[in-house]
Amino acid sequence: MSESSPHLVVRGVSKRYGPTTVLDHIDLTIRRGELVTLLGPSGCGKTTLLRAIAGLAQPDAGKVELAGRDITNVPPHKRNVGVVFQSYALFPHLTVAGNVAFGLKVRGTAKREIDTAVERALSLVKLGHLASRRISALSGGQQQRVALARAIAVEPDVLLFDEALSALDRKLREEMQVELRRLLQDVNATAIFVTHDQDEALTMSDRVAVMNKGRIEQLAEPRELYLRPASLFALNFVGLSTRIHGTVLAASDGKVDVETKVGRLSALGNFQAGSPVIVAARPEQLRLGEQGEANSAAGRVRSVVFQGSRTLVEVDAGAGESLLAELSGRDGAIPRVHDEIRLSWPVTETFAFPMEALG
Amino acid sequence: MTEAALPAPVTAPAVDRERLTAIGFVLPSFVIIAGVFALPLVLLLGVSVVDANGLTFAHYKRLLGTPYYLGVIWNSLRLGLLTTLIAFLISYPAAFALARARGALRAILLATLFLPLAASVIVKAFAWTILLRSDGIVNETLIALGVIEDPIRMIFTETALIVGAVNIFLPFMILPIYAIVAQLDPRYAEAASTLGASPVVTFFHVILPLTLPGIIAGVALVFSLSVSAYVVPTLLIGEKYPTLATTIAKAYLLAREPGFGAAAGVVLLGIAIAVVALSARLSREPK
Ligand SMILES: Nc1ncnc2c1ncn2[C@@H]1O[C@H](COP(=O)(O)OP(=O)(O)OP(=O)(O)O)[C@@H](O)[C@H]1O
Ligand SMILES: [Mg+2]
Repeated sequence: MSESSPHLVVRGVSKRYGPTTVLDHIDLTIRRGELVTLLGPSGCGKTTLLRAIAGLAQPDAGKVELAGRDITNVPPHKRNVGVVFQSYALFPHLTVAGNVAFGLKVRGTAKREIDTAVERALSLVKLGHLASRRISALSGGQQQRVALARAIAVEPDVLLFDEALSALDRKLREEMQVELRRLLQDVNATAIFVTHDQDEALTMSDRVAVMNKGRIEQLAEPRELYLRPASLFALNFVGLSTRIHGTVLAASDGKVDVETKVGRLSALGNFQAGSPVIVAARPEQLRLGEQGEANSAAGRVRSVVFQGSRTLVEVDAGAGESLLAELSGRDGAIPRVHDEIRLSWPVTETFAFPMEALG
Repeated sequence: MTEAALPAPVTAPAVDRERLTAIGFVLPSFVIIAGVFALPLVLLLGVSVVDANGLTFAHYKRLLGTPYYLGVIWNSLRLGLLTTLIAFLISYPAAFALARARGALRAILLATLFLPLAASVIVKAFAWTILLRSDGIVNETLIALGVIEDPIRMIFTETALIVGAVNIFLPFMILPIYAIVAQLDPRYAEAASTLGASPVVTFFHVILPLTLPGIIAGVALVFSLSVSAYVVPTLLIGEKYPTLATTIAKAYLLAREPGFGAAAGVVLLGIAIAVVALSARLSREPK
């Protein structure tokens, strides 16, 4: 099978619990060997989507296909989908090796093959020396690795991780993100990673699906998601931004001029004159001073937050609007609180979004 | 070497204090158990092997060497084993149903389990005799419905005995199993299914081992209660089904053979301890 052919296809999957629609016609196609992250706020349906793929929750409508097979009505134990639960759900009555061997044992694999596979899976997660330990005698990070080893030992067609790292402390979590990504690439696993940690999403994945209220708002590579957010929700959920309210004055092929309380700004977007919009830019696009054709606005510095290689400067631009700039030391002097400054940023990095309630 | 020398003086008093605290907590119950249980047990053991002429095993020879008394031991074992087995078969699914029930239904089910515990065993055994008598409710109903013409003999049969014993001891099986099942994380079964285990395999390889501690507790409780039951066999079956418990009572109250009664008591205790110890062992080594 080629690398780019669809491997997991979710087609129009919907799920309701009582009156609430938890999944609203989800479409998602994942290529073989790809690592996709589901990113979204609490309650947006991430876990439910994973459970629908694993067969642990039956969708009301739609289809799930895996490795060319329609698995919509296949029970979970015949799907070959690996799941790493947030709570790990390791079997407390079995040892580390017993847990990892479980999936192979229930498949009736020969004893010798099981032993080799268990050894291999445990050495992948660097836990070979703990094979005969009880689960209760492991640290959180070690349990996480056992859960991973247990899931990969059966060579599932797709691996699902539901906030698998969120129980770890920050340092360990960051180490595991890098390690896990490398490991998944080594075994060429196709995987879906659920998280509400945007850094984790950007670090781990080939593509990120931003979910909101049971829908996928944008499915894109991390870089594109950050640079070209498709909606205000995606813009807000990933990274920081400056957002200014305004009304479209004039529009011409993909560009709009917007009247705002901090002056006239230009942005990318397609709108009719008179539409209420929000104009947005990423903080690292903002520079001190004027620059030719660029957008610019002035104000008084409200706060300066030093963050090592960069400094975040928040500017009160009056009329309830504020600007957020991320300045690096190379840009010259960093302003101080109460300084009056002017900031400018390129029109090609300015986006207009329809004014909508933030989810 | 220097490492070992440093922390030792610091930690030693802490450990001692911990140990002292632990002993302090255990001491009262230890005194009570030693006084109320251990001492009488030693006396019981003594009485069973000592008579006017000194050391003797005559009572044990009589118990373990006479067909009649072997039959008595077998009756007790049978009562214990059948009651425990049937109570388990009823309780296991019931505990799952109870754990799955929500709100008012769960409260009602739990209440129906707990309330009978407040009534004495004698009252409950009598209730069964009223139900099962030849002119009891069960027979009257069956006759009225035309199912049978003459009353069936139900009371004073082994069936009546087991039915009554199961009914009376059932809560002691359901409650410990329920306590475990209610805590059981549904993720375990889900994890097993995603690893390829069918519902049946999941049951035997995950659910059953994880609920084993509750089963062991229930089995130990119900077996030791039913194997030594006195009121239930006396009221529901009577003379024709002598058990160790009724034999002990007879030896003390009628025959005035305290030595023989003590020996029967030791045998009964031995059986109960053996089963409980076996259960505890099984729960430690599930595989
Ligand atoms: N079994 C269920 N019965 C009723 N409602 C449910 C059930 N499972 C989930 N829900 C509801 O569906 C919605 C989505 O839940 P889901 O667990 O998929 O969210 P999530 O995106 O994983 O959130 P989180 O980040 O908090 O884990 C929530 O509003 C939740 O209350
Ligand atoms: Mg979730």
